[in-house]
Amino acid sequence: MISDSDNIGIALKMKGVSKRYPGTLAVDSVDFEARVGEVHALMGENGAGKSTLMKILAGSFNDYTGSIFIGQKKADLHSPASARTHGIGMIYQELSLARPISIAENLLIGRLPRKYGFWLDRKAMVRQASSLCDRVGLCLDPLRTIEEISHHQSQLVEIAKVLGSNPCILVMDEPTSALSREEVGRLFKIIRQLKNRGITIIYISHHLAEVFEIADRVTIMRDGKIIDTKTINEVTPPMVVQMMVGQAIDEFYVQRRPNISDIVLDVHNLTRKGFFHNVSFHARRGEILGVAGLTGAGRTEMVRSMCGLDPIDSGTIEVAGKQLRQHSYSVAMKHGMLYLSEDRKTDGLFLRLSVKQNMVSAIIDRHTRCGIYSSRHENAKTTELIRRLDIITSSASADVSNLSGGNQQKVLLGKWIAADPTILVLDEPSRGVDIKAKMKIHKAIIELADNGRAIVLISSDLPELVGLSDRVVVMRDGHLISEMQKDRLSEESVLLAMNGELG
Amino acid sequence: MRPADKATSLSRLAAIYDSIGIYLVGLLLLIAGIFVSDEFLTPKNLMSILNAVSLLGIAAAGMAFVTYSGNMADLSIPSIMAFSGIISVAALPLGLAPALVLGVSAGMLIGAMNGFVVGRFNANPILWTLAVAFFMEGFMRFVWSNNQVYPDIEPGTAGAAFINIFRLSIGPVPLIVAVMVLMFVICHLVLTRTRFGIESKLAGSSKAAARTTGINVPRVVLMDFLAAAFFASIAGIFITSMNKLGVFYLGKGYDFKSVTAVVIGGMMLSGGRGNMPGVFGGVLVIGFLANIMTFIGINTFQQNIATGAIFIIVVGLHQYQLRKRGKDYA
Repeated sequence: MISDSDNIGIALKMKGVSKRYPGTLAVDSVDFEARVGEVHALMGENGAGKSTLMKILAGSFNDYTGSIFIGQKKADLHSPASARTHGIGMIYQELSLARPISIAENLLIGRLPRKYGFWLDRKAMVRQASSLCDRVGLCLDPLRTIEEISHHQSQLVEIAKVLGSNPCILVMDEPTSALSREEVGRLFKIIRQLKNRGITIIYISHHLAEVFEIADRVTIMRDGKIIDTKTINEVTPPMVVQMMVGQAIDEFYVQRRPNISDIVLDVHNLTRKGFFHNVSFHARRGEILGVAGLTGAGRTEMVRSMCGLDPIDSGTIEVAGKQLRQHSYSVAMKHGMLYLSEDRKTDGLFLRLSVKQNMVSAIIDRHTRCGIYSSRHENAKTTELIRRLDIITSSASADVSNLSGGNQQKVLLGKWIAADPTILVLDEPSRGVDIKAKMKIHKAIIELADNGRAIVLISSDLPELVGLSDRVVVMRDGHLISEMQKDRLSEESVLLAMNGELG
Repeated sequence: MRPADKATSLSRLAAIYDSIGIYLVGLLLLIAGIFVSDEFLTPKNLMSILNAVSLLGIAAAGMAFVTYSGNMADLSIPSIMAFSGIISVAALPLGLAPALVLGVSAGMLIGAMNGFVVGRFNANPILWTLAVAFFMEGFMRFVWSNNQVYPDIEPGTAGAAFINIFRLSIGPVPLIVAVMVLMFVICHLVLTRTRFGIESKLAGSSKAAARTTGINVPRVVLMDFLAAAFFASIAGIFITSMNKLGVFYLGKGYDFKSVTAVVIGGMMLSGGRGNMPGVFGGVLVIGFLANIMTFIGINTFQQNIATGAIFIIVVGLHQYQLRKRGKDYA
């Protein structure tokens, strides 16, 4: 038993740590501790503050408040360098490796061994790199490049790289999102070895099963606060889910009486090898169909292929009773199936163009006769959409890049509302958006459905998915594994289904 | 206040420059010209300035399509000019009209290849068109054994009519000046009033966003390179007619000069911004500058130094402005 006065065995202690972003308190006076040689899982929904808390630990912020103790000593983690010297190593979802250069160079970057002060000492480099690789059980020629090895292997290289700086605390953020089952098993073996060597591992994941397999203790966060810390034996998956979800805020989601009619989208056995397999589902007019799944379950890949943006290997898609003969986005669009991209910055908006030009960009065809484009509709359409979506902008001709994230997202939605879709596929329609913009976006989505459109909604924001959807299909590892009707929908049930723990 | 509103004076200057600036510069040069020489502001001199820049103007109008659609520059424009001229001269025995059609078609064939490769396979436009220019120079020197191609200029032949094209006038206005102005008017209408023009702007602003908006980006890029090749071919026929011979080096220098005109005319190399009146202004400014420098007695090489320096300053200003507004390739 470790009592409060006995600090031996405590690797990390955070006391009253807070971090404020403009408008929100992302981490709210958190007390957190992790013991030497334990795997400590950190769980919570998106936006619960897990990542921000770990970024504080990584020295990403110089304006957090509260105190952090590493071992016995108080540490000021105001820069990544100071975090490193305090023995904190981070492994993010996106790997930090340079793909075209060798494993050895990646591992020893910044401290490559040299001969005569200038020449690269290749022998020493290979020797040091091999010994680092051995620590994670990786037997590869260190002179191979990252491009040549698998994702799993590069993940191990990443771990080896972090271990090279001899950390005492290792933070892993969703390390398994791109790994297969066996690869996860191998990763867990290495985690156990690290643990036996006395390294503390803080493990962030949404995968319940993995957490129950690997973790010694689990801490649950919600709305920037720590809800509880439990030994893994004390809790069950439903208990953890209950703590993550908390009291559902029902009044946030308007109760609506959907007017659902005939099938307008019928997808049959859609397959893209390696991404998703034999996916079949349908959606009706007036219905909001949610697609649930963990990161890497193939949701975005599936809808992008369905809309013709990415290839398919087999399967059929029927829109309003007509089968799409050609597989391309322009064909899908002609049938009224539109896709709102999950990333407004890279392929959603034209950031350097005005609000107006963005809003009308999808209806150029419709206002063209014999190649001549008529711009007469533009002002009225834009004014109407700005009012309808409550977009805050100095004028319709302001650059869309000058708008806040929430208003940019509304412009993106407005662009597709202008195009008058039959089926609107929304991929994370309110990601990174404040609560007011989110409510406005939800209202617009419900309006679209009430006007007889079919909405396919992908969202990692569970309250949103559960609150808006009339029906939810669940994807896992590229397969559609279940379907849940409105009366069975709750955050708990969807979360369990996403994890493949169906009752 | 958002950061973008807090523009520094320099980036505000750049923003003003983008809207009307090039004509302001033109006006300043016009005033400067009056001080440099009494002959500057005569109709004769002004018309000769227009005449001198009309080849550049036609080529730059085409280049503008490529820049506007986010493909930076077509460096094969000089070789397209030379090639269309050579083919026209070679085809003169078939008659003037067939020769001109064949010449323009030959040039557009190169444009089609450029547009297809850049649009479909996302080739780097600068490197690809540079390679095409290199290839075409070798090809023309090989096929015509490094020789110049002369038309038969006996009076009454198609050849005589061909070398006359450059020398024709409509009243006091040389044909080539009229063609240039007409081209700019048409190009302006195409960019602002046609689906092709709007889609070029969208593709130029963000190819990825244009794709998810349902725009056939490869087709748009193909058409932009075709437009560039079309105008380069027209310019090629005029320059061949002017020189009374076709040869591989005729369009030399028009790649960089037309990019300069396009960029100082307010089109950004990153695409999607600017307009045709601006490019026309850019062409005029280059004409005024060259004329004034000739009056002062600055030789061609020094003029090249000046043009290069202006290009560097304008591109630098654009980059600075984009960085300030934080949206370069955002």
